[in-house]
Amino acid sequence: MLQKPESGALPIPQAEREMDGSHDGETQPLTASQEMSPEEDLGAVREEGASEPSLTPKGARALAAKTLARRRACRRLDRTVAELVQFLLLKDRKKSPITRSEMVKYVIGDLKDLFPEIIARAAEHLRYVFGFELKQLDRKHHTYILINKLKPIEHEEEALRGDGPRLGLLMMILGLIYMKGNSAREAQVWAMLRRLGVRPSKYHFLFGYPKRLIMEDFVQLRYLNYRRVPHTNPPECEFSWGPRSNLETSKMKVLGFVAKLHKKEPQHWPVQYREALADEADRARAGASVRARASTHLW
Amino acid sequence: MQGSTRRTGIMTDVHRRFLQLLMTHGVLEECDVKRLQKHCYKVHDCNATIEKLEDFINNINSVLESLYIEIKKGVTEDDGRPIYALVNLATTSISKMASDFAENELDLFRKALELIIDSDTGFASSTNILNLVDQLKGKKMRKKEAEHVLQKFVQNKWLIEKEGEFTLHGRAILEMDQYIRETYPDAVKVCNICRSLLIQGQSCETCGIRMHLPCVAKYFQSNSEPHCPHCNDYWPHEVPEVFDPEKERETGMSRSNKRSLRSRQH
Repeated sequence: MLQKPESGALPIPQAEREMDGSHDGETQPLTASQEMSPEEDLGAVREEGASEPSLTPKGARALAAKTLARRRACRRLDRTVAELVQFLLLKDRKKSPITRSEMVKYVIGDLKDLFPEIIARAAEHLRYVFGFELKQLDRKHHTYILINKLKPIEHEEEALRGDGPRLGLLMMILGLIYMKGNSAREAQVWAMLRRLGVRPSKYHFLFGYPKRLIMEDFVQLRYLNYRRVPHTNPPECEFSWGPRSNLETSKMKVLGFVAKLHKKEPQHWPVQYREALADEADRARAGASVRARASTHLW
Repeated sequence: MQGSTRRTGIMTDVHRRFLQLLMTHGVLEECDVKRLQKHCYKVHDCNATIEKLEDFINNINSVLESLYIEIKKGVTEDDGRPIYALVNLATTSISKMASDFAENELDLFRKALELIIDSDTGFASSTNILNLVDQLKGKKMRKKEAEHVLQKFVQNKWLIEKEGEFTLHGRAILEMDQYIRETYPDAVKVCNICRSLLIQGQSCETCGIRMHLPCVAKYFQSNSEPHCPHCNDYWPHEVPEVFDPEKERETGMSRSNKRSLRSRQH
């Protein structure tokens, strides 16, 4: 069970009341109820409300004890809701529906009569904090799943990598390809990677399985082209830049990367440097003509 | 917000996406967290100014507090990189692993954890871990299988492997700090400087105090004659450099190379 130290945390219902509890017609409405009354202390709460303010020490003690008990019960309920939220998030990662009996067995325990209360509050947290909707799949069997309410993004993984290790590896390969005259034999690529301690089928802690990353992922994402070299026996294959690489980087940028690796200036390789300059000029022209076309469209 | 005694943060889709992605990754380095934050703003609120990361995270943590979880910041023990993970504030924290691993696999992790904590270097050899395979709870596991399970732990960032030996990943240290202190109160080591849990570090050969490598780096920065802060004896180990994120960006992909050069010093 959770054992959070006393911190005077704000009771959950306060925060919840601020929330917009709108639900669209498709989802099973799981509205958070406004009242929070743990059954076990319902008696104490009712008594508290009904009793007259007592001025005797005994009366004051009794009142204090009831308040303490009520607060403890509230906290226990809070913790159970929090545990259920964590439980649902963990279970959802495995993509298997979660059953009510699992929830009761692992989280809710003897508060199971308050299940509707608890799950409603958990649902509200999931929605407000994480952007997940808790949806009941099956009314008869009480199974639930989480639906992501945030808009889906294509290739989010790749968008996040930026200059991380996987794209760093890609840069090395793009560099090799460019320096070898815009195409490199597969054997050359693996030879270079071996020098970095990267083997095709050996699991690497940064890249996973390199062979899969390069031959499948990079090719599918159009960072690399992979084709058979004609008239080779035994058949050889070669890599060249894919269309996406041309969009996301440039010959000049890759040359700069290679130059830095070797601690030299790009001009150290005159052939590649000239080619990169020409490429920059082409891009500038293409950019200008797009802008020109765009400006004519304004009229 | 009306009548609240404490200001709770506001969640928007920017924050929600951030949380979702941080949860997916388990643990992220600071540079990746910043990129993640930028990405979330770009997707949901591209005109807003990106809040300073510390404030952004504090805002989210104030909302998470009622759920007994928080985004915790730590530092990798070997080279002082800041890392972030979403951690449970409760004590029973092998629980996050429980959803991904079977009973015997969790027990293997517990055995490895114990060996790591008991060790002097903070590392447990593959051989020593595998020799405990017969003592595992649950379904019987062969050594070959256990090797794969250890790799799964590395893949999921619970363990780090270096030259056939295993230590705890920064993520495990962040998530299991309380659990470790409570379960192994006698064997646990603590850094003399920051007082946090210590798995890998340097130790004084005279008085035995220990310090994290990044703590050593900061403490002895620009000190040409380092002395033990406790017994004042000469500090015999090489003082590492303080982690500098700017320098890191310049050198690009040298991270993997740096790791292989780092040696353990005890």
